Amino acid sequence: MVLTPDFESRPVISFQRVFKTYPTGTEALRDINLEVPEGDFLFLVGPSGAGKSTLVRLLIREEKPSKGKIFVDGVELGRMKRRKLPYYRRKVGLVFQDFKLLPNLTVYENVAFALRVLGEADSHIRARVAEALDTVSLTGKDHTYPSNLSGGEQQRVAIARALVHAPRFIIADEPTGNLDPATAWEIMQLFLRINARGATVVMATHNREIVDLLRRRVIAIDAGQIARDDRSGRYHDDVAKSQVRA
Amino acid sequence: MLRNLKFALNSAWQSFWRNLAVSLAAVLSITLILVLAGVNLLVGHAFSQVLDGFRTKVSEISINVSDDTPLQTVSDFQQQLTADARVTSVRFITKEEALAQFKADPQNVVFAQQIEGNPLDAKLEVHVKNLGDVAAIDTLARRWPGVDPADPTNYQGDFVNRMLELSSWLSLAGVALLLILMIVSVVIVMNTIRTAVYHRRKEIEVMKLVGATEWFVRGPFVIEGIMTGLIAASIALALLVIAYPPAVDRFKSDIGFIPLSYDPRFISILAQDLLLAGALLGALGSYIGVRRYVRI
Repeated sequence: MVLTPDFESRPVISFQRVFKTYPTGTEALRDINLEVPEGDFLFLVGPSGAGKSTLVRLLIREEKPSKGKIFVDGVELGRMKRRKLPYYRRKVGLVFQDFKLLPNLTVYENVAFALRVLGEADSHIRARVAEALDTVSLTGKDHTYPSNLSGGEQQRVAIARALVHAPRFIIADEPTGNLDPATAWEIMQLFLRINARGATVVMATHNREIVDLLRRRVIAIDAGQIARDDRSGRYHDDVAKSQVRA
Repeated sequence: MLRNLKFALNSAWQSFWRNLAVSLAAVLSITLILVLAGVNLLVGHAFSQVLDGFRTKVSEISINVSDDTPLQTVSDFQQQLTADARVTSVRFITKEEALAQFKADPQNVVFAQQIEGNPLDAKLEVHVKNLGDVAAIDTLARRWPGVDPADPTNYQGDFVNRMLELSSWLSLAGVALLLILMIVSVVIVMNTIRTAVYHRRKEIEVMKLVGATEWFVRGPFVIEGIMTGLIAASIALALLVIAYPPAVDRFKSDIGFIPLSYDPRFISILAQDLLLAGALLGALGSYIGVRRYVRI
């Protein structure tokens, strides 16, 4: 089953005239207006330094906007109290290019870690981790350490950790950046399955083939601004390109 | 809550062993500091024991009664002193009693044999509640007509004042030394925990990203600090308990005129103080050390 996002209903993620300027004076984002409905699958594309990662950091509240408002699930992130932040992050599953796995923990322990910090019971953790590892097809690798896994397998562990607490949002920053095309495609299939279960997915990526193949919503960011928002887009704006060529 | 505590205890224990070299260096440094703090407490206690002895002595003033003073006048003055709120007790020693006391003192054996008659005064031995009031009683006694004008009292004003002054300076120095030692140990724990934080920075980053609360991240480090402090305090206590009695014996044999004695009751107070200080310093040092790094 694939959920179709309802663009008419109240968005679960909303950026309203968001600006981000770093203390060094670098203007990373300018006047970002963006609405993401529940169940959407969204690609953030653009050249390096365009502001994609800043946008991701704002979404997970590692940074606060310099101006404007960001609402996630009705809560304004900029005004969120620090003590409330962990509870917000529990609604989000995060996946990064460098996997961020703990090398001294096994596959099972890495995935279980996301539930341990929530203070879940061991029996509950066992069941949920087994389910998550099954979803990413890593059953049987429970006792393996990350250093003995391939890049694709490590990213699958990271995805299992991101979805083990059943988050409503998955935010991924270049999740296929370190993977070969075949493995990257496998990982994308996983994200599609997670999205099909109802989670909203926001993914910053440079992977042109995948974006072009999936034809999902594409937000192109250039020089800190939204240059394009296509509901069923490609990595490059072909119309614009053909106009330039003509 | 219990699960989080179990996680924190496990993490703290693992971290302590994983960074064993740094942990042991911290334990040794804090042990040394706590030994110094313990010595400071023991010396302070010994000094207060000695001071208490001196205080009892100097808070007693002897008023020498002139030989021609009628017994009734002495009795009136004794009653006046007994009624005084600053006075605990007054005892009249006759000339004969004074001589007997003098002869009974082993230090006066030779001198006592040479005494002819009774050159000693009768006296009123007055116990004063507060050391600071001895001077006032001395003034009162000197104004009393029955006092021996040649040798009115045995009050040594300067000595008492110096004792009081020395006592307050020593307490101040003790407090200052304890304060310095505390600051040093907090800094040591702080740096140890920072090393542990550095080793576990990836874990902390992941913890924050998956929604761990600040206390969940901080807890293991604070427990590790408390553990470090308690281990150091236990070692310091063991060393002090072993060294305390022989040190007192040595001191007594070297400097006999200072009435220092071994006080076993003080060991339990010392144990309480050191363990509490170790735990608190460990907790404080790690709390400060980790604070900046675990801010979400």
